[in-house]
Amino acid sequence: MSTLILRAAPPERLDFLNINPLALSGLSQGEAERLEVGTTRTGVRLGECFSVSLDGADTLTIEGGHERLDRVGASLSAGTIRVTGDVGQRLGAGMAGGSLTVTGNAGPYAASGATGGTITIEGDAGDYAGGAVYAAKTGLDGATLIIRGTAGAHLGDRMRRGTIVAGAAGAFAGSRMIAGTLAALAVGDQPGLGMRRGTLVLGAHGRMAETFVETGAHDLVFLRLLATALRGLSPEHAALLDKPLRRYSGDLATIAKGEIWVAA
Amino acid sequence: MAAWVKGGATDAGTAIEAAASLLAKARAPVIAGLSADVAAIRAAYDLAGRIGASVDTAGSIGTYAELGALSRVGALTSTPAEAVGRADMVLVVGAAPWQTPLMKRLIDTKPTRGRAAGSDRALLAVGANATASLAWPAAGGLTEAVGVLRAFARGHLAGDALPGQIAARLASAQYGVLLYDPAELGEAGIEMLQGLAMELSETTRCFTLATGGIGQDRAVVPVAAWLTGQAPRSGFGRRVPEHDPWRFDAARQVAAGEVDAVLWLASVPVACPDWLSTVPSVALVADGASKTAEIVIAVGQPGRDHGGVLWNDPRAALTYWPASAPTDLPSAASILGALTERLTTGQPASRSEPAC
Repeated sequence: MSTLILRAAPPERLDFLNINPLALSGLSQGEAERLEVGTTRTGVRLGECFSVSLDGADTLTIEGGHERLDRVGASLSAGTIRVTGDVGQRLGAGMAGGSLTVTGNAGPYAASGATGGTITIEGDAGDYAGGAVYAAKTGLDGATLIIRGTAGAHLGDRMRRGTIVAGAAGAFAGSRMIAGTLAALAVGDQPGLGMRRGTLVLGAHGRMAETFVETGAHDLVFLRLLATALRGLSPEHAALLDKPLRRYSGDLATIAKGEIWVAA
Repeated sequence: MAAWVKGGATDAGTAIEAAASLLAKARAPVIAGLSADVAAIRAAYDLAGRIGASVDTAGSIGTYAELGALSRVGALTSTPAEAVGRADMVLVVGAAPWQTPLMKRLIDTKPTRGRAAGSDRALLAVGANATASLAWPAAGGLTEAVGVLRAFARGHLAGDALPGQIAARLASAQYGVLLYDPAELGEAGIEMLQGLAMELSETTRCFTLATGGIGQDRAVVPVAAWLTGQAPRSGFGRRVPEHDPWRFDAARQVAAGEVDAVLWLASVPVACPDWLSTVPSVALVADGASKTAEIVIAVGQPGRDHGGVLWNDPRAALTYWPASAPTDLPSAASILGALTERLTTGQPASRSEPAC
């Protein structure tokens, strides 16, 4: 297991796009320490901020995170990254495979555009987790995002595929959703605003927008299949589907093929 | 020529020297405001490129709400002149557009061109209780309200409730205009509003028109596009322009302690942000009060003290404004040019001692 140990708080935002098990496996200790990770004109090299220890394994542990570590695990295609501590924006952005775990909190845009693999945030996530960055067509696009704590506003904004499981989330959860599945124990106001397709499973919610209409209680086979799928990720979320459910259809401002299931 | 360093009056040469040394030792400088004529905006991007600074504008909240929606769903837009000349139905979204000069022109005139020529102009309102023929208070917020109108326009909601009546009036118009303020409506609301315009344009003509805007943001967007190929919030720390609206949000950067020098450019007057006094800063301002920043250099206001290309709101274009009352105050572009020259003739910034 390769390890990076943070020695002191980074003096500037660091970009970890190129720091992953595959990229480090072909490098010597010295080469890895000289990798440029800074983002200002002064710059920072990996070895200036971290103690580096490499063994060519497909697992990388970053001990001591910081909210200035951007793009940790971005574009990861295989292997495992585990961060003990916080990370900055775009955790696992564009990730295609592998596994990424953060024990602390993540900044905004976690798992944006991720097409595969599993991203787990044991603390809280910032705004737009599983959401789209500026000018991107989609947010989460096939990966699995698990947030044990609370996510910010716009969770799963424009997500197109994949699954998001969150303990709680702020306003506009699942806004402008294109497709996919989002489950949360509680969300803020106006979930699903502007959603086209997709499924939200909610334990509780704030104000429901007037462009969602209640379509009654249903007992669908699909819900039992969904419960089975969710049970592996979070039994608590799967349990939501065991309760009586109200279904809302919307957003009527769009093609209105989205649905919100609310546990009674 | 007036300049101040730490509140004490001095000459411009000393102030430029002090500004250059502040910027030269900065790890992550920011050039913010950019409320200036095109020549000064160009000079600011040139300086940013040379010293690895990042750039943000005074009105970026509204600008990014607008650009975010544009990048996703496109836009059906009109101009103030077209709206005044052709619109027989105007929907005012929110409270801010009511405060603009355009609103008075729309209220005082009737359409004179096109199919609606000679007919009366009706005003509809959402979210603000104003002097419109139909006004809907919209308790759920503007984004949801526009969504409800869109649902009525699509036929997904029906009935003769207020939003239904507003949607029906818009659908029966010859030339409808949806007036909004980008900063007030927000990205999701603008996207929804564009959807409403597109929905209505299936059967009649309907366009959106943004009002307001702070500083010279509407000039910065095209200048940034032709200089960097990107929207305004770009950073040059890694020598190439990187666009990241979250990372280069100057207010966020200051709050997170990531910035060690700010150059505030506002030769076209605009309100100073609160955070400016919390970081070492240089301000290039017209009518500058000496307390706005650590180093203040008074510059001419384009269109008053000297000529310059500015955003012309009524014409919705960049136009040249000659000096209305010429003075010998230096232009912001010339001060930025002097700073660039001073900072690039010296030694390149050396790598600092090990960072941590």
